[in-house]
Amino acid sequence: MASAILDRELKKGSAELLILSLVGDRPRHGYEIGQLIEMRSGGVLHFNVASLYPLLYRLEKRGWIRGRWVEKSGQRRRRYYRLTPAGKKTLEAQRDGWREFVTAINQITGIQHA
Amino acid sequence: MPDFKGEIRKRLTELSLSPTREGEIVEELSQHLEDQFEQAVQGGATEQEAYQAVLRELNENELLAPALKRVERRVPPNPVVMGKAGKTNMIGDFWQDLRYGLRMLMRSPGFTIVAVVALALGIGANSAIFSVVNTVLLRPLPYKNPDALMTVWEDATHMGFPYNTPSPANFIDWREQNTVFEGMAAMAQRSFNLTGAGEPERFDGRKVSGNLFTILGVEPVLGRNFLAEEDKPGSRVVILSYGVWQRRFGGDTGIIGRALTLNGESYTVVGVMPAAVDLPSMDNWHDQLWVPIAFTAEEASSRGNHYLEVIARTKPGVSRQQAQAEMTTIAARLERQYPEENTRVGIRVRQLHEQLVGDIKPALLVLLGAVAFVLLIACANVANLLLARAAVRQKEIALRLALGASRSRLTRQFLTESVLLAGLGGVCGLLFAYVGLNVLKTFIPPSISQAQAIGMDGKVLIFTGLISLVTGLIFGLAPATQASNFGLSETLKEGGRDSSAGSRGNRIRGVLVVSEVAVSFLLLIGAGLLINSFLHLRKLDPGYRADHLLTMKVSLPETKYPDKERRAPFFRELIRRVQTLPGVESVAVASNLPLTYNGDSMPIGAEGRPDPPPDQSPDVILRVVSPGYFRTMGIPLVQGRDFTENDSPEAAKVVVISEKTARYFWPGQNPIGKRLKPGSTTSESPWREVIGIVKDVRQNDFVAEPKMQMYMAHEQVGSFAANAVVVRTQVDPLSLGTAVRKVVWEIDKDQPVSDIRSMEEIVSSAVARQRFSTMLLGIFATLALVLAAVGIYGVMSYSVAQRTREIGIRMALGAQRSDVLRMTVGQGLRLVVMGVAIGLAAAFVLTRVMASLLFGVSATDPLTFIIISLVLMTVALVASYIPALRATKVDPMVALHYQ
Repeated sequence: MASAILDRELKKGSAELLILSLVGDRPRHGYEIGQLIEMRSGGVLHFNVASLYPLLYRLEKRGWIRGRWVEKSGQRRRRYYRLTPAGKKTLEAQRDGWREFVTAINQITGIQHA
Repeated sequence: MPDFKGEIRKRLTELSLSPTREGEIVEELSQHLEDQFEQAVQGGATEQEAYQAVLRELNENELLAPALKRVERRVPPNPVVMGKAGKTNMIGDFWQDLRYGLRMLMRSPGFTIVAVVALALGIGANSAIFSVVNTVLLRPLPYKNPDALMTVWEDATHMGFPYNTPSPANFIDWREQNTVFEGMAAMAQRSFNLTGAGEPERFDGRKVSGNLFTILGVEPVLGRNFLAEEDKPGSRVVILSYGVWQRRFGGDTGIIGRALTLNGESYTVVGVMPAAVDLPSMDNWHDQLWVPIAFTAEEASSRGNHYLEVIARTKPGVSRQQAQAEMTTIAARLERQYPEENTRVGIRVRQLHEQLVGDIKPALLVLLGAVAFVLLIACANVANLLLARAAVRQKEIALRLALGASRSRLTRQFLTESVLLAGLGGVCGLLFAYVGLNVLKTFIPPSISQAQAIGMDGKVLIFTGLISLVTGLIFGLAPATQASNFGLSETLKEGGRDSSAGSRGNRIRGVLVVSEVAVSFLLLIGAGLLINSFLHLRKLDPGYRADHLLTMKVSLPETKYPDKERRAPFFRELIRRVQTLPGVESVAVASNLPLTYNGDSMPIGAEGRPDPPPDQSPDVILRVVSPGYFRTMGIPLVQGRDFTENDSPEAAKVVVISEKTARYFWPGQNPIGKRLKPGSTTSESPWREVIGIVKDVRQNDFVAEPKMQMYMAHEQVGSFAANAVVVRTQVDPLSLGTAVRKVVWEIDKDQPVSDIRSMEEIVSSAVARQRFSTMLLGIFATLALVLAAVGIYGVMSYSVAQRTREIGIRMALGAQRSDVLRMTVGQGLRLVVMGVAIGLAAAFVLTRVMASLLFGVSATDPLTFIIISLVLMTVALVASYIPALRATKVDPMVALHYQ
């Protein structure tokens, strides 16, 4: 139950940051992004199709990421998303903001990392 | 693998996305679901379980559509220029096309500017020439019912005068015997010296029948017409032209009733005519005033003195042919009645308008044809540009077709765009035409009727609008048909960059280049022939040396100088004084100078030679000159002597004849010492001894072969007064004009001096019409050449760009630069040679319409044809060499990657 609340609330605020971070190092396609979020969060975070793609399209529309159909030999073509220069700036700003936010929460709640 | 696409699409319908966008989303999402499905199956789930799991994912909270809705843009219900095959809305579609076209044009300003300028040049040239044609040829004369106005002439074709001026007695018989004309009026050119009010001035004018203006149907702007009783000897009334009234009298309305001293007699001003009155004349004669012709009894009975011009108005319902038929009957009757003067003399009735514009008509029509060709070339160029652009827009077109636009709808869209372009070209063209027309007006020979009235009116605007529309349809057709004819599937395929439209487009482009070359070849040939004629004209030996000659008119009024006894001292004194002016080499006077007057010719009788029948005796032009005339003019004396001071009225009468006269009357003999007299051997004139032979002079007409001529000493002739002064100068002739005029005024302060011109100016204005058409056709042909060169260059550049890959492969496989150069230049040259061949064939046919404009060259002059072919080939070679050179610089590696 707790995980469901966390899921919904955190996703709202952090989804953009997650996606921007994931396409920050190299271009990735939608399924890959979904998989990575789930894997790296140890299954805590899960985006389903109906929410992941509208989000991707919104980020693309804002000009932070850019999708491009890429054909690799022996595979069907896929749409890969890469970070745009504008997206890079946003990512950095959001990372800083998130870091401050987490630090602040931690200090208040007294949760300490090992 | 289950099909998720249908599921996804179902959830997207409510969004009404554009089909392409929807396709992309469906593709991307279905891949995601398929991946999930596979993963689930690999993880041990059955296909059914996996399918259900994936669908659940898709359905979670039914989020997909609402979430996408916030992001994706919907396609508007009536997509811009989507076009539907079904019902159409012509007006709405048109506005849509227009807005869309405007946006497309603004998106590529470079293309738009080049196209609009090319079109503006073509359309502007057409509007300008059409303005001239409209004013000169099409606009009705400013008279009442002008179609009924005729000029009537004596037809003495057997003597070389198809339109001869009739004699008063003949005119009076015509007027009394005909039943086809409402009225008939005679006119005679005459100059008038105005004295007693400010500077003396000489006016061109006419003596006219009292009913002339009634026949023309013009009302005076001030005062009244002549009254019937004023057309009688002794009446002294004058009507002024609008120009003189404005210039000399400052538009003073109090002019009516004022007395003017003209030729020493007092005339009362009774009226002022509107500016538009412009009567036909042979020379640069522009009427400034009119007085009644008022034949004396002696004049009215003269049948051998031909100097009248006749204007008549046919009765309602009488055609020119009917009038001609009756006048022919009258001519036959007069021939029987007066065989002496009227043997083989007919009558010609010619429309007044025809008379006024007949000479310039062929030249104007040729020019009109020429500008039409220039416009065609501009069209071809713009069509080329549009084709190249259409190739770039293939994707757009394909998409629209895929989305359901009908091909006819697309064609219409393209045509709207090109007509819009042509419209812009038309507006700029009007601007060009306006500026061009003002320049043009300074070159229009003043002898052309209504030359000063040339301008733009509603007809010109309508004409420009129409040709813009037609132009837009013509150059838009090729791209439009191409756009709606190409292979949809190939273009839509990713990577289908060089679609089949390429080869088809290349073929159209090739055809365009070939026609451009052919048309500009035609124009260049036309211009070349005219330039060639003009050079021939300028090389003609006029018979005298035109350089360093100052000329002017000094016509002594009959009232003050009624006879040669009173004229002689004036001119003797004038010559003596002018001779002493610094810079003057010699000076002489003459009745008329070459190219300034067409009259004074007569048959002669030669002693010892039987007179031919009256209709077969050729006319000899008579000029009355002072001693030193031949030396001053630079007319070489071939044999014998010039006149001297000793050839006085009392001395034996003498005559100098031209070589042609000598050859005709005394072939193979020495004419010196032989005698002749004007008229015939039996006329009452005294015999005159031939004392000298001079070279033939182009006396009346610069272009025609010189006619027979004779000269008499001015002091030995009573009836022909000297009119003109000619001065040979060591300095610029015109710089002495004021000094000579001052000398005239020192002798007689009331004596007007007019037409101060250099002889070169006179010669130059004698070929003004030829220069006019040569210059204009030359300009248009150059324009055509430049446009064609740009066209060839454009097509070759495009084709080289398209073949970059091919050229790269060739070079990678070992082709040399020279091979590539040869290949590309060869391609261009092939088109040009085809164009020249077609142009050549057309030129052989079409230049024949120019025959009447040519002089000394045939319409198929081989030299012109060869030179023009070479010029065009050279230009075309250069135009295709530059892109070819670029082709050889292609780096094979770059080319192979080139898309």
